[in-house]
Amino acid sequence: MGEVILTMKNIDKSFPGVHALDHVDFELKRGEVHALMGENGAGKSTLMKVLTGIYTKDSGTITYEGREVEFHNTHDAQAAGIVIVHQELNMVGDLTVAQNIFIGREFKKGFMIDDRKMIQESKKLFDELHINIDPKAKMSDLTVGKQQMCEIAKAISHQAKVIIFDEPSAALTEKEIEDLFAIIRDLRKQNLGIIYISHRMDEIKVITDRVTVMRDGAYVGTLITDECTKEDIINMMVGRVIYEDPKTHSMVPADAPVVLKVEHLNAGKMVQDVSFELRKGEILGFSGLMGAGRTEMARALFGADPKTGGDIYINGKKVTINSPEDAVKNGIGYLSEDRKRFGIVVQKTITENSTLATLPKYMSGLFINKGAEKEVTEQYIKELDTKTPSADQLVVNLSGGNQQKVVIAKWLVRNCDILIFDEPTRGIDVGAKNEIYKLMNRLAAEGKSIIMISSEMTEILRMSDRIIVMCEGKKTGEISIEEATQEAIMDKATRDIK
Amino acid sequence: MENIKQNPVVKKLGFNRIILFCILLLMYGVFSVIIPGFASMDRIMSILNYTYFLGFLALGVTFVIATGGIDFSIGPVMFCCALMAGYTLNTHGAPVIVSLIMSIVIGFCFGCFNGYLVAFVGVPPFIVSMATMNIAKGLGSVFTKTQSVSWPQGNDPSGKGWFRNLVKVGDFPVGLLIFAVAIVILYIVMNNTKAGRYILCLGSNKEAVRLSGVNVRKWQMLAYVICGALVGIAAIFFVGAYTTVQPGLGDTYNNEAIASCVMGGTSMAGGLASIGGTVIGVLVISLLQEGIMALRMTKEVQMIITGIIVIVFVYADVSARRRRN
Repeated sequence: MGEVILTMKNIDKSFPGVHALDHVDFELKRGEVHALMGENGAGKSTLMKVLTGIYTKDSGTITYEGREVEFHNTHDAQAAGIVIVHQELNMVGDLTVAQNIFIGREFKKGFMIDDRKMIQESKKLFDELHINIDPKAKMSDLTVGKQQMCEIAKAISHQAKVIIFDEPSAALTEKEIEDLFAIIRDLRKQNLGIIYISHRMDEIKVITDRVTVMRDGAYVGTLITDECTKEDIINMMVGRVIYEDPKTHSMVPADAPVVLKVEHLNAGKMVQDVSFELRKGEILGFSGLMGAGRTEMARALFGADPKTGGDIYINGKKVTINSPEDAVKNGIGYLSEDRKRFGIVVQKTITENSTLATLPKYMSGLFINKGAEKEVTEQYIKELDTKTPSADQLVVNLSGGNQQKVVIAKWLVRNCDILIFDEPTRGIDVGAKNEIYKLMNRLAAEGKSIIMISSEMTEILRMSDRIIVMCEGKKTGEISIEEATQEAIMDKATRDIK
Repeated sequence: MENIKQNPVVKKLGFNRIILFCILLLMYGVFSVIIPGFASMDRIMSILNYTYFLGFLALGVTFVIATGGIDFSIGPVMFCCALMAGYTLNTHGAPVIVSLIMSIVIGFCFGCFNGYLVAFVGVPPFIVSMATMNIAKGLGSVFTKTQSVSWPQGNDPSGKGWFRNLVKVGDFPVGLLIFAVAIVILYIVMNNTKAGRYILCLGSNKEAVRLSGVNVRKWQMLAYVICGALVGIAAIFFVGAYTTVQPGLGDTYNNEAIASCVMGGTSMAGGLASIGGTVIGVLVISLLQEGIMALRMTKEVQMIITGIIVIVFVYADVSARRRRN
């Protein structure tokens, strides 16, 4: 770690009705990876937006490279060498890698764009970062991990001195995360200051030098990563130790009946001949790398995408599922990995979302029985501990964790016996995450059967009664929780790639 | 200002709709002052004549816009209904009641056609309705051999003019009653039935609704069918007030109907619709057209104004969404 490159002191920012930042301090040194942690709504993103000029601070000072600065937009910040690698990638899928990296500042030869030079420059960048990507490849053909690398290369090409990573690993597989870390270590060696925002505790321990924790818009403290434990950080974030205990053995009774049997399910390239059984009260974990075909399997099973073959049996009876409508009729509920796109109707109320799958039950004659609808919604708000002033609140105003609870409520109102949870805790903070875990365990104990797709190894090992591993569209293994280890799963998850 | 917006009564009625209603009253006041004799019963009846048919068009297209779609065929389809039904009445001597039903059925069929193509075949609504607009114009012309069609006058010796009683009897505006009943029914459909709920939700996020096990195609198509049937009713009120229809026209009413919707707070992005807002919007446009006529300006001036209204209100909606996010 070198000298201090960036100091934020007493940063204060209010929005109507919210004191978003309450005199927050933050300090970054050259050659350090500094984690910024806190639950959703703790103010991490707001602080970074103040730093990069998206928001204007109400008071406080920012000192960068020894001078007091104030950026008015991201362009200013970029020009000074502070860049953000966003959680959602901002890439144009139809352009090539090189075109994306130099978008908005293309090299020109007269009036023409000089593609060759852009490709050369991209290659140089990639070589510096030890990344193996073809600059001529189309962006949409790359994996999410590779796209992220391009985003980083783009950031560095701005002569960055400070790079902010906003949840870079949220969509990456373990292997891709390792590559990402290799790059970050490289950047650290080059004496860049790196701010790393993440919810994943394990990563914080591995990659960062210091941790600054925020809570409710206020600065809580800064720790040296090597001198603290995960629990210390979590305590600072939420003020209490949490997390369900990991399972050591399956909670499913030996005589539990099979509720769902899938045989030779096929759907294009991404789902090839997948067969498995799900038992009553079981949480069946689906592990694998990004692009292993788990989501595609779930969508085909649910009828969201067409299947090209396979039989599905529910409670021993063969059923036809050609649309989500069929699936829901057969008691299957699907919680999508992409909540905003596939899970909730954000501009509508909690009530409207909660009864979306069950509306025919809340009709009296031709009309919606709004009283009954509200009653059941309020019941589930209470039961799931959804934080909202009322059932009439628009879902867009809820935090990620509470939105997830609304989706879960939708399926519980429908009384689905088989629930597919696809990345149920993605983008959810630590506190809410454990609530979702508790809820899943409770549902399983009540006799619901859950298929849980997760890219987080700890989550798979903590929650599953049994684990199925997929790789490149095929089922490559099935492991009981007693035998499951990270290594055993990774071995099967990469079987076909090696 | 924030306090007023949070008032429960204001919230229920909608702040923007209250403002729009005030604009309506203000416009009426201004016209009454600058145009001698504007504040008369005759003028009001004339405004209402315009309100009826435009109202049914606008209420119909409100359902389509609520799904996030658009229908540029409503004006020409209305004319097509009036032409075909009127031609059948005059040339083939069909009973009036048959012609009226025929008008609604033709509108209904166009709605089914549009809705099927959008919801089940997956053709973008913009393209479908542009094509349908031309089909409707062409069909109306071919059917009537490119002749204009005049529906019977009220005093027609055949007694076929009775349908005009739907618009008014003497000085009593029967049309207003029918329109009011239609508003109430459509309000309930939009806010208290499964159809309205699904239409609004799928307009906001179709994929999420589909993955909730709802047959979204059916409900999306229904919005176009409701629109079509209302266009057929609009045609009856159009001829009831204005008698003559010419083939190959009707486009101008598209913009006026769409302008009414967006003024009233229905979002072009879908998912947000207000029946009451649309009605106030229709009144504003009807008043505007009467005022422009009274000022001896041409229809073209009104086209410019409605065009600007659409752009201004869509911009307001888009920027309000951006602020919220």
